Order: sequence, then C-alpha cells, then structure tokens
Amino acid sequence: MPIPITLPLLSQIFVSGLLAGGVYALIALGLTMIFGVMRVINISHGEMVMLGAYVTFWLFHLVGFNPLLSLLLSMPALFLVGLFMERFFVARVLDLPEITSLLLTFGFSILMVNMALYFWTADFRSVEYLTGSVKFGGLYFSLPRLVAFWVALTITLATFLFLKRSRIGKAIRATSQSRDVAMACGINVRRIYAITFGIGAALAGAGGSLISIMIAVYPEMGALLTLKSFTVIVLGGMGNFAGAFWGGLALGLAESFGSLFISEKVSEAIAYCLLVLVLVIKPSGLFGIVRR
Amino acid sequence: MRVRAGLIVLGVVLLLALVPLLMQTYVVSLVLFIFMYIALASSWNIISGYTGYVSFGHVAFFGVGAYVCAIMITRQGMPWVPAVLVGGAGAALLSLILGFPCLRLKGPYFAIVMLGIGEIMRVTVLYFEDLTEGGFGISFPHPDATIPSYFAMGITAAAVVALSQWLANSKFGLRLMSIREDELAAEAMGINTTKYKIVAFVLSAFFPGVAGGIYAYYLSYIEPESTFAVLITINMAIMTIFGGRGTVLGPVVGAASLYVMSELVWIRFPFLHLALFGAIIIVVILFMPRGIMGLVGAKGVLVRARN
Repeated sequence: MPIPITLPLLSQIFVSGLLAGGVYALIALGLTMIFGVMRVINISHGEMVMLGAYVTFWLFHLVGFNPLLSLLLSMPALFLVGLFMERFFVARVLDLPEITSLLLTFGFSILMVNMALYFWTADFRSVEYLTGSVKFGGLYFSLPRLVAFWVALTITLATFLFLKRSRIGKAIRATSQSRDVAMACGINVRRIYAITFGIGAALAGAGGSLISIMIAVYPEMGALLTLKSFTVIVLGGMGNFAGAFWGGLALGLAESFGSLFISEKVSEAIAYCLLVLVLVIKPSGLFGIVRR
Repeated sequence: MRVRAGLIVLGVVLLLALVPLLMQTYVVSLVLFIFMYIALASSWNIISGYTGYVSFGHVAFFGVGAYVCAIMITRQGMPWVPAVLVGGAGAALLSLILGFPCLRLKGPYFAIVMLGIGEIMRVTVLYFEDLTEGGFGISFPHPDATIPSYFAMGITAAAVVALSQWLANSKFGLRLMSIREDELAAEAMGINTTKYKIVAFVLSAFFPGVAGGIYAYYLSYIEPESTFAVLITINMAIMTIFGGRGTVLGPVVGAASLYVMSELVWIRFPFLHLALFGAIIIVVILFMPRGIMGLVGAKGVLVRARN
C-alpha cells in the first residue's frame, strides 16, 4: 500500500534516521578506534554492546537503577572486559596476520553470545524508561531515542576531545599513525593498545546502555550490531575516527529512508547491502582519506 | 606405503557403506550429518585454509544449493539427483558472480563482506516469496530417502576430500597456498592470483551447494532460518580450525569429532556446548594454530608426494 510522500513525512523520516544514527556512530567509534590503532577487527564488538545493554537491564530490573546513570557502571565494566581481552588474548596475536585476531575475536563472539543465552535465556527484555514521544515543530520525537541521541552525541564528542587534547589521547592517535615512530618517541605502545581496546569496549558498552532503552535486549542482538558497526566504519573509512561519526548518521538515514521507499521487510538488509557495495566499489570509504 | 594407505581407505569406505544395512536409522542419519559436515568443512578449507581467504558467509552456498534443488524438484518435477547437481551449479554460479568483486578485497575485508552476504541471501529468500514460499518454507513430501541421501552425501564428502588431497599435492594447490602466504610475492612469481582465487572460491562453493541440495532432499522440507543459519558457517569454521586449517584430514577429523561430541554429549547443554565451541576457537588459535593435525604431527597421508 503506497503512502503519499509528503514533506512532513520526509522530515519525520529524516529525524528518526538521524536519531538512530547517533547511537550507531557511538558504537562504531569504538570499533574504528580499535581497528585504527591495532589493525584488529573485533568481531565481538556487537557482543560487547549486548553486555552493556544487559548491565543496564539488570540494574534497572533488579534495583530500579536509572538507565542513564547506569552508563557510569556499564562503561567501566566493559572497559575492564576490553582490557582483560587485550592483555591475555589479543595482545598475543598482534604480530600474526590480521586474520588471526579476526578468528580469535570470532571465538569470543560465540563464547559471549552463548554464555549470555545460558545465564540469561533467549528472552527478549525491555527497559521501560521514558516511553512516549514529544512534539516539536510539527515533528514527533520518540523520547527514548531523543535522549539516547543526545547522550550518544555527548559521549562521542567527549571521546573526540579526549583524543584531541589529553596526553593519552595524543599517544593513541600517534600510535594509529605510526606504531614505530610512536615507540621511538617513548610511547609505551603495548599500554596504548590495552587502553585503546578498553576504550573501544567501553564505547560499545555505552552504546549498549543507550540502545537498551530503544530496542529489545536479547543475547543474539550483537551480531546485527557488529555488522552495522562495520557498515558505519566502512562508510566512514576504516580507522578514520571522524568518519565513524558521519558514517553512523549516514547509516541511520539510509535505513529509515530505505524502509520507506523499498520495504519494511528489507530494512535489515540495507546495512548489509551498503556494506558490500561500499567495500566493493570504494573500499577507502565515502568520507575517508586513503590509508595504506 | 601407498598400498597400505589405499587398503585403509578401501576398508573405511566398505565399513561406511555397510552402515545403512546394519545400523538403526538414528546411526545412519548421524553418519549422514557427519558426511555433510565433512563436505562443508573441507569445502570451507579450500578457500579459507589453503587460499587464506576466511569466509564468514559460506552458508550462503549451502542455502542456495538447498533452495535451487528444492525448487527444481517441486516446480520443474526434476528427479532428485540432477536437481542436487543443479543446486551445486547454482551455488557455483553465485560464487563466480560474487568472486569477481569480493576477492579483490584483502583477507579481513573479504571476511566481513561474506558475513554480510550470508545474511543478504537469507533476506533475499524471504523476500522473493513467489518462488521460495518465504518464511513458510518449501515442503515436498516423498517416501523416506535416508539411504539414497546417505550414499549421496557420502560420495559428496569423499569427492571433496579427494579434491583436497589433490590440492595438497598439485601445482594448483601450491599456487593457492602461495597466495595465502604472500599474495604480492605470488603475483610477482607470475601466478594469476585473481584466476586462482576465483577457481578456489567456485570449488569451495559448489560442494556446499550439492550438500545443501541433498540436505533438502533428505529432510523434504526447508525454510530460510535453519537453511541459512549462521551456525552452519560457524560449524564449518570451527571444525576446520579445530582439525587443522590447510590440511587434508583436518576438516575430516574436526567435523567427525566435534559433530559426534555435540550430538552425543553436548546436546543436553545446548548453549554451553556452543560456548565451548567459542572457547575451543580461542584456545586453538592461541596455542595450537595448526589444530589437531598439527599436534599429531600430520605424518603419513599428509606427506607431500613430491619434493
């Protein structure tokens, strides 16, 4: 059944795409940082998002903890998970071909999903917080999505500021530009790797906390998010920090317009198709500078 | 040595051929699925073990083979054996179309693209309802086909293993391995890497397509979620990695041991057993990168025929 396409409808679609895109950008920033600095493709990134979402869900469900405040717990928790994973596992395979770390994190992804299924069952959970929507300028904004968008934006900007200004942030950027020169300048590269992996995981955890107030939380939610994050960082250029932000917004918009013009049924496939198309046609990303 | 190896192979084949005559249906179907996973893991091994291009979406070829076969049987009234082969051809055709753009990408990017393609195929099958019946699946009841399916799957598995054995000992296989070790150097040696990668990819897609067709015929019912399950790709990868990537017997050993264990022991703990699979990958990658075959020294059958 064709819906008449009007300007208000298009603006509404634009807004909801943008709101979803903000959270995608936050999650993908973590993935692209890990790739940019360590050349590791973390297949378990979506599972880290899932863990973050469960932290929020359990805190909310068991003790009624405020989902937004739970960010203060989910981010450090996932930071530690990332630190642990890097120190004891990923660090051992960094000098081997990229495919090794890919298979290793693939193992972690399977492990995390199935442990979650075992302990927390396959039930769909939801965090009922800030339901409803607000009307502004003739457009409806879903309240949880609006709040999640702004929080995601804040965390993303804070991360950029951290990378730009702080000593560790500068060391992270230096390592991503050239590991050897960074080492020669006295940067402890192994420590930077561990911190980067931790921050990447923490950003995934933050994304999980925010996404839990938007969509259902279940153990297998991560696979789709891993793929979407890949799409985002491929759109923005792999390892390009700012590109992840624009790529996130682009994916959000592509999904919401796609489900309008093509079909609701294929909206899930839009991310996959974009991923394949961009990698095949322009592997350096839409916004990226070519990195070799 | 040659004669002894030949006798062992002959003995194993005879023993397996007797299974349907002597055993109960349950054992027959168990061995049938072991055959299926041997065929799938060995095929995965061709592109991901020998050639070094890890494919996280190989279930696409299995699923396409199953669907093409089922559609040929139900719509065209084709007998099942040619339908199964057409299924394999469909998977091979898909891999040929995908291979040209995707194999230009370097390893990790290829892995990610394939992850997307597995899902795209599932959504595509759901979308073209007229042809595939969408989420309802295709059902084509026929009398019990366990025994013919058993032999068909066994022949498929044997064919892939024979192909792997040939790859391990032929110039063609050596060229694939040189691509894995250093693609640039391989190209500098005058190897047409694009051609070899695509041929390897098509070979590694054809047999999963055939296995998918036999699977569809055996079950006489297929639907998108289980036919395109990510788990099937995961199994192919884990069985091969566990057994030993880039070896002939690795995928065979991996498929047989992990499938038997998951059927007999772990089936009672569904999620824990998959979590254990994840842990196995981590341990194998870190501590025994050449898998079981690396541990046992891989002597005998695996010794290169030429020096």
